[in-house]
Formats: sequence, structure tokens, C-alpha cells
Amino acid sequence: MKTFSYTIKDAVGIHARPAGLLAKLAKTFTSTVTLEKDGKSMNVTKLMMLMGMGIKCGDTVNFSVEGEDEEAAAKAIEDFMKENL
Amino acid sequence: MDYKKCASEILTGIGGKDNLASAAHCATRLRLVIADNGKVKKAMLEGVDGVKGVFEAAGQLQIIIGTGTVNKVYDEFIALAGVEAASKEDVKAAAAAQAPWYKRAIKTLGDIFVPIIPAIVATGLLNGLLGGLSKAFPGMADSYIFALLDMFSNTALVFLPILIAVSAAKIFGGNIYLGAVIGMIMIHPNLVNAWSAGSGAQTETLWSWFGLWNIQNTGYQGHVIPVVIAVLVMCIIEKKLHKIVPETFDLFVTPLVSVLVTGFLTLTLIGPVFSQLETWVLSGAKALIAIPFGIGAFIMGGVYAPTVVAGVHHMYNAIELAMLADNGQNTWMPIATAANVAQGAAALAVAFKTRNKKVRSMALPASLSAFMGITEPAIFGVNVRYGKPLVAGMIGGACGAAVASLMNVYATANGVTGIFGFLITTETFVGYLLTFVIATVVAFAISYFIYRDEVPAADNAQKDADQAGAAPAETAIDLNRAFDEQIVYAPLKGTAVAMADVPDETFAAEVLGLGAAVDPVEGKVIAPADGEVSTLFDTHHAIGLALDNGMELLIHIGINTVELNGEGFTAHIADGERFKRGQTLITFDKALIESKGYKTVTPVIITNPDDYAEVKKVAEGSVDFLDQLIETKKG
Repeated sequence: MKTFSYTIKDAVGIHARPAGLLAKLAKTFTSTVTLEKDGKSMNVTKLMMLMGMGIKCGDTVNFSVEGEDEEAAAKAIEDFMKENL
Repeated sequence: MDYKKCASEILTGIGGKDNLASAAHCATRLRLVIADNGKVKKAMLEGVDGVKGVFEAAGQLQIIIGTGTVNKVYDEFIALAGVEAASKEDVKAAAAAQAPWYKRAIKTLGDIFVPIIPAIVATGLLNGLLGGLSKAFPGMADSYIFALLDMFSNTALVFLPILIAVSAAKIFGGNIYLGAVIGMIMIHPNLVNAWSAGSGAQTETLWSWFGLWNIQNTGYQGHVIPVVIAVLVMCIIEKKLHKIVPETFDLFVTPLVSVLVTGFLTLTLIGPVFSQLETWVLSGAKALIAIPFGIGAFIMGGVYAPTVVAGVHHMYNAIELAMLADNGQNTWMPIATAANVAQGAAALAVAFKTRNKKVRSMALPASLSAFMGITEPAIFGVNVRYGKPLVAGMIGGACGAAVASLMNVYATANGVTGIFGFLITTETFVGYLLTFVIATVVAFAISYFIYRDEVPAADNAQKDADQAGAAPAETAIDLNRAFDEQIVYAPLKGTAVAMADVPDETFAAEVLGLGAAVDPVEGKVIAPADGEVSTLFDTHHAIGLALDNGMELLIHIGINTVELNGEGFTAHIADGERFKRGQTLITFDKALIESKGYKTVTPVIITNPDDYAEVKKVAEGSVDFLDQLIETKKG
């Protein structure tokens, strides 16, 4: 399992568009991507739940990636976060 | 951008530094607490170069500046204004402090009593049930198990001062264990139990103020206000000592002195004075219900609930016992019943009318409990919090109490009200029934009529702004149209737009899901079918719906409108609430949003497209509310 944390820098947080892109990216891997914030965790491919987390600027979220392609998936997600959020 | 110029113009716009109470900033906004909102020139602020928007919310004036620049403007601003940098918490506290004193006092009392309600309900409800059962089966009262349950049932009330003291210490910021000690001192077994003292037990003089005023060694069982005041005093002393006592001695000096001083003050001054105040309220009440023609009872039935709020109702037992001892007729109990069931009925109306699940799940059990004679959950948990139901309950209680008085209803015991009260009013059954019914019906009807779900403060400010502008003509919504589960009906009125033509690559590429968009002509989003709000964005620019047919729908008003931070959007529903087809979910100020340079074209997206074999836009050209927009086929 690969894990990493990321602190959101984008002013408006994970709103509809980045949530959609993130969910879509997570779906391209066979690994399960889990996001955890303040004790609540969810599968990143569940778009509505991801938006429902209400993740804002300054929040720190923890990702854990588990599966065959976890190495590549974790890197792709981390890159995506750095680039977009 | 010139940060200093921006800051100085903002300062002028809010009416100078004398009009500024405190200042903080978040990621995008300056958050200011203003002394006199009348001096703020909003139009001027909006014109300042660098200011993207101005609104009032939660007692704060919020000025949108933007990420990366807000902190720089803020630094210049506090230097110019000469105020200390405040944390967001400070600003929130200052905003709360703007509430009038009596509101803060009631809120504090509520904060103290609400956490202990579970304890009162657990034992109090058992008390009501046992009372009813023992009246129905008189033999039961002799059994050992009854004695045991009876002991459980009065425990929370017997030791009430300790519970209150702990809760009060927590609220006033003191050590809760020291608070508990103060509560214990007040009902220490070495003092004469207040209830025994009330029925004639001998007391001795504990202390004498200059030989003028003798303090008896009576405990404070059944008292509320003296406990709260005593713990308040203790917390003030404790916090002061923490500041002035050197750390080395703090551990033993502070607790010792806090308890010693407070304990002494409590038994000699605070306790006697405030319990006397409680008693005066009580004897005033007794004189009151003696007024003929039901007038006194009417008034008492009305003010009964507020006396519960103040905590003095625990002493009513004394009045009832005195009445029973005199002629065996307890005429106080029917008034209590009228007031109690009326509060229950008022809370019941809230449960029926609210659209908020949380409120309902609280109001319903609270209401049932009130009908069984335990009113605290209904009064504190629901009615006081929303205000209007309390008033409705007071009116209902007044009417019921007047009936009781006119029909000479009396009880043959005390300690039982509400439904179980029938068991001790068998001699005046019809009168008691009428009292009960009238109090219930009146309170329920008034509460149902005047209760409205609360709208968050930010929305209110927005609503006021909306009402100030010319209200655009609204289109009536026809709900009597055919409904097909496979169809997504238009939640907006305007022109249907294919998703591929939405001027935003994320939506156009269908990253979020499949669907169609509407370019609206009216700033209103309604529910396309029955369902539940799964996600309401804080910025109110988008809403996620879980429809009852299993469809997940995202309605995203405009493009990039998240950047407006809620400006121009008003939510008419809260997260997690249920809605009916055709219900208004969000309204938005189309002109304002467009004037800020944003498009209002609104994608309506099915976010669980994997559950469908086909999703197809069917509308062409203009669509009215609830016209067919998208057709789906299940996979």
C-alpha cells in the first residue's frame, strides 16, 4: 500500500471540476484509491461523496493506494494534486 | 496592485478605524467586525480597486480580495487601523458578543442544561412511568423491585446540583471536578435536606451576617440558579488565580482557594440570596393563580414554561404539597399539565412541519416525552432554540390552564403530569381531559402556523439583498404533468444546450458524467423529482441530488462560479434534507453573476452514468420548468 498526504493550496478546494477529474483519473487504475480527512474516508471514484467531503483550501487529506498498479497510481494522483490543487 | 491604497480605502469605506471592532482574514476574504454597520459605505467598498465583492454574514463584514493578495492587504490594513491581528475564533466570539445580554444569558443557561438532559430524561421518564403504574396497580408500590426502580428514578433530581455544577464549570471554562465539588457542598449530607426542611425538619444557624441575617444549615436540593451562580463565581476566581499564582504553587493553591472561597460564599451569601430570589418567584406564582375567573391560571399557564427555563419549577412541588396538606386538592398540577402538554404539542408541530431531518428526529421524541410530563427536552432542545414554538406553547398552556381553573380541576397527588395525570385526576376526569385537549390543540395549531425552518445567516443577508433589487417575474410551475422515472425533467427554464457545447472543457468532455445543460432565463433551480440533497456546496453554486429513482444528479450553476464564493446564490434547502418534485432548491441572481463576467449556463449531469445503458438529451430549443430534458435507459 502506498500512502501520502497533501495540503490543498487551491483557493476554492476540491469543487466539482477537480473532483470529476480526480475521480476519472482514479478510475483508470485497478488499484483502490482511498482519501481520508478528519477520520472520514471514502473511495475517490465515488464522485458525489468526494464532492460531499467539502474539502477546502488549507485542509490536509491523506491518500492510500492499494492494488497491482499502486506505484503508478499513487504517483499519478500525487502529480495531479500538485498540478491542480 | 497597491495594497496600501486598497487597505486605506477599505478603512475609509467602513467608516474609519473607530468603527472597527476586530479584523481577521481567511484564504480569500477580510473578515471584519464592525461597531456600527450604518456607517459602512458598501457601494464605496465595492468600488475599491482590488475588492471583488462585499457582503455581511454571521455578524461579520466580509470583503472578498482573493488568494495571495488578501494577506498583504490585511497586513497593511491592521497597520493602518492600529488593531491587533485577531484569529478567526476571536472574530467569531466578537460577533457573538454583539447579541444582547439577555440572549447571551438564555443561551448560556441552555448550554448548561442541554448536556444534562439525557440524565434527567433517563431517570425522570422512569419516574413518570412508575408514577402511572403505581396508580394503576396500587399493590406494586410495596414490591422490592419497585423500591429499587423508584430509587433510580429520583437519583438525577436528588443530585441535580452536582450535574448542573459540572456542566456549568465546563461552560464557564473552569475545572469541572472543582465545579462538581461546589455542587456536592451544596447538597452535602451534613446539611439538612432542603425538602425535609420544607416539611418542618429542624435546622440550625450556620452563620450570621453581623447578627442581622442568620444563615440556616439547609442544603440546596432542588435548586438551580444558586448552583449556576456559585459555579460562575468559582470559575472567575479559578481563572484569575491561574493568572496570578506562580506556576510552582498553582497546582495546590488555586484549587484550594477556589473551593474554599466559593464554598464559603455559596453557603453564606450566594445560596441564600439566589434561593430567596427563586422562592419569591414561587410565592408570586402562588398568589397569581389565586386570581378568580381563571385569569390567574391563564397567566400562570402562560408563564409556566419560562419558569421551567429559569429552573424554578423544581420548587413547585412545595406549592403542590402545601395544597394537598390543606384540603387534598392540588389545583397547581392541572396548570402544569396544560403548560407541559402545550410545549409538547408545540414541539410536535415543529416535528410535523420541519423539512430538516435532524430537527424532526429531535422534536418528535422530545414531544412525546413532554406528554408524559418531562418537558425539558421539548423546551430546551426545540422550543427555546426556535423561539416561536415556545410562545405557541405558552399560549396553549394559558388556554388549557384557564379551562382547568374554570372547571375546578384538581389532582389528588403530585409529581405526575401529562398523560399519566389522568390517573390522579379521576374525580374531575372531564375537566382534565378538556384541559389536556385544549392546551394541545391551541399550541399545536399556533406553532404549526408560525414555525419556519431557519435559514442560515449568510442566506438571509443574501435574501435581503435580493429583495432590495427588483424581483423578476416568476414562472408558475405545473406539477400535474406526466412523470416518467426514465426522464430527467428540466430543473431550470431556458434553452437546452448539448453538453459538448458547454464552454468548459471539463463539462464538455463529460468528465463529471453525462447529461445536458440549460442556459437559463430565470435564476431558479427546482427539484426535477423527489429525493434528498446529497451535497450542497458551501458556495451554493452547485448541488448534488440523490433522486428516489436511484439517479445521482449534479446541477452546476454557471461556469467557474465557485469563485464567486456564494455571492449571488441563495440556497433554499440544507444538506441532507428531502425535497419534493418542483420544490425550489437554489435561486441565483443571473444579472449579478453575468455582470461579474461569469456564464450562467448550467450543466445537469448524471454522475452515476455507469448505471445507465443510454443517456440522451431530448430537449431542443427552449425548455420550461419540468419539461423533458434528458432520456435514460437502464443498463
